[in-house]
Amino acid sequence: MFNSNYYKTIIALTSITYAIKAKNLLNSAGYYCEIQRTPKGLSKGCGYSIVVKNDINLILSILASENITVKDYCPL
Amino acid sequence: MIYFDNAATTFPKPLAVKQAAFVAVNKYGGNPGRGGHKISMAVAEQVFNTRKSIGDFFGAQPENVVFTQNCTYALNLAIKGIMQDGGHIIISSLEHNSVARPVYALSKKNCSFSIAEVESDDEKTVWNFEKLIKSDTKAIACTIASNVTGHIMPYKKIALLCKKHNICFIADGAQACGVLNLKMSDGFNFLCTAGHKGLYGTTGTGVLISDGSYQLKTIIEGGTGATSVELEQTPFLPEMLESGTVNTVGIISLGAGINYIKSTGLNKIFSHEQSLCKLFIDKISNIEGIIIYRNERCSYVPIVSFNLGGFTSFELSSFLDKAGFALRAGMHCAPLAHKTYGTIETGMVRFAPSSFNNSKEVIMLANTIKKISKTS
Repeated sequence: MFNSNYYKTIIALTSITYAIKAKNLLNSAGYYCEIQRTPKGLSKGCGYSIVVKNDINLILSILASENITVKDYCPL
Repeated sequence: MIYFDNAATTFPKPLAVKQAAFVAVNKYGGNPGRGGHKISMAVAEQVFNTRKSIGDFFGAQPENVVFTQNCTYALNLAIKGIMQDGGHIIISSLEHNSVARPVYALSKKNCSFSIAEVESDDEKTVWNFEKLIKSDTKAIACTIASNVTGHIMPYKKIALLCKKHNICFIADGAQACGVLNLKMSDGFNFLCTAGHKGLYGTTGTGVLISDGSYQLKTIIEGGTGATSVELEQTPFLPEMLESGTVNTVGIISLGAGINYIKSTGLNKIFSHEQSLCKLFIDKISNIEGIIIYRNERCSYVPIVSFNLGGFTSFELSSFLDKAGFALRAGMHCAPLAHKTYGTIETGMVRFAPSSFNNSKEVIMLANTIKKISKTS
C-alpha cells in the first residue's frame, strides 16, 4: 500500500453524477478533490475520476459512507 | 389574458426561472457527462445541482433523481420498468391517461390490471385497493391528487398497504408536487412528477424519483456517458434511465423553480392558492345552474372544477377565453376520472390558480361567469 499523504491519488468512479457528488462531499468536508476523465488503464470506457491528496483509506471510507462505488484507484 | 390553467402548465414562470433559462442557453451550452472540458463540466455541475436540490426537496439521494421529458415519461419508465416481465397492477378510478394508457398497453402483452374505485371515504378507497391485491400483484400506480378535481388520495395509507403486501408503490405527483409537502419517506417507491407545473420549471421537464428499493428494467437504451465500452445498458441510476442528451436548459430552469418554492415557502404557496379557490367557490356557488365538483368529506389540492347549466364545458371555456380567461375544459386526458364523476359526456371546466394569481383576478372571473349564466 502506498502512502497517499505524499501522492495524489486518482479514484475511478462510475459516472459523472457520482464524481460530482464525491467532489462536493469531499470539498465540503475540507478535502482537496478535483474531477478529471478516467485515464486509459485505470478503467475501461470514458468514465470520470476524482483526484484526491489525503489519506486514501480515509477518503475511501467517506465515499463508502455515501454509497459511492469506487471502480479502482492508483497513485498519480 | 388571465391564466388559470396552471394544472396543465404554470404560467407565468418566476423571474429567476426565466433568467436561469437565459443563462443556460448562453453560458451552459456543453453536453453534460460527455466530455472532460470546462464547458461540459460546468453544465454537468449545474445539472447535478438541480438533482441535489430536488433530492433535498423530496428527501431522496441525488443519484436517485432521474430527469425525464415530463411526468408521462417518468410514469412510463416506472410502470413498464416494474411490469416488464408480467404480473398484475392496480390503478385508481381517478387516473390520468399517463397511468391508464401504459397499464392498458401492458395488458395487451403479459400483464393484467384492476381499477380500484375511489370514494369520498378514504378507508373505503384503501379497502377497494386491498381487495384487488392478488398473488401476482407487483405494483399499485396511482395519482396523489386528481388532475380533474384535485381530490387528494389517501396516499400514505396506500403506501402502507403496499409495504404490508410487499408491492411497489408508483405515485403520480403531477398535481401534488409543489403544493403538498411530499417526501419519499411517505412511502413512495417511485414518485413521478412534471417539472413544468407546480415546480415552475419550463416545459419539457419531468422527474422520476426512486427510493432505491426497486430496480427498474429499461425501456429505452443508449448513450449515457457511463460504462461506454459495454453494449449492456448502464446498470445504475440516474444514467441508466437518462439515455441521450438531457434537457439541460429545462433542468437548470427547474432548479431555479425549486429554489423559488423553497424561498417563497411551500406552505405559503399552498395557503395562497387554497384561499383563491375558497374565494372562487364563495363567489360562484350562488350562480344559478352552477355545479362545483367538490365533496366536503374530501381534501383537495388547489383546483376547482365546475360546470354551468345550459353550456357544455367547451362552450363555457370558449366564452371565458373570449372574455380574457384561460381555463381548460373537457376530459383533461382523464376519462377514468370523468366516468367516476359522471361527467364523461360533459367534461368539466377547471380553475387552477398558481402563486402568481390574485383575488382581484378571481373576482373578475367569477363576475364573468355570472354574466355568462344570464345569457343561457
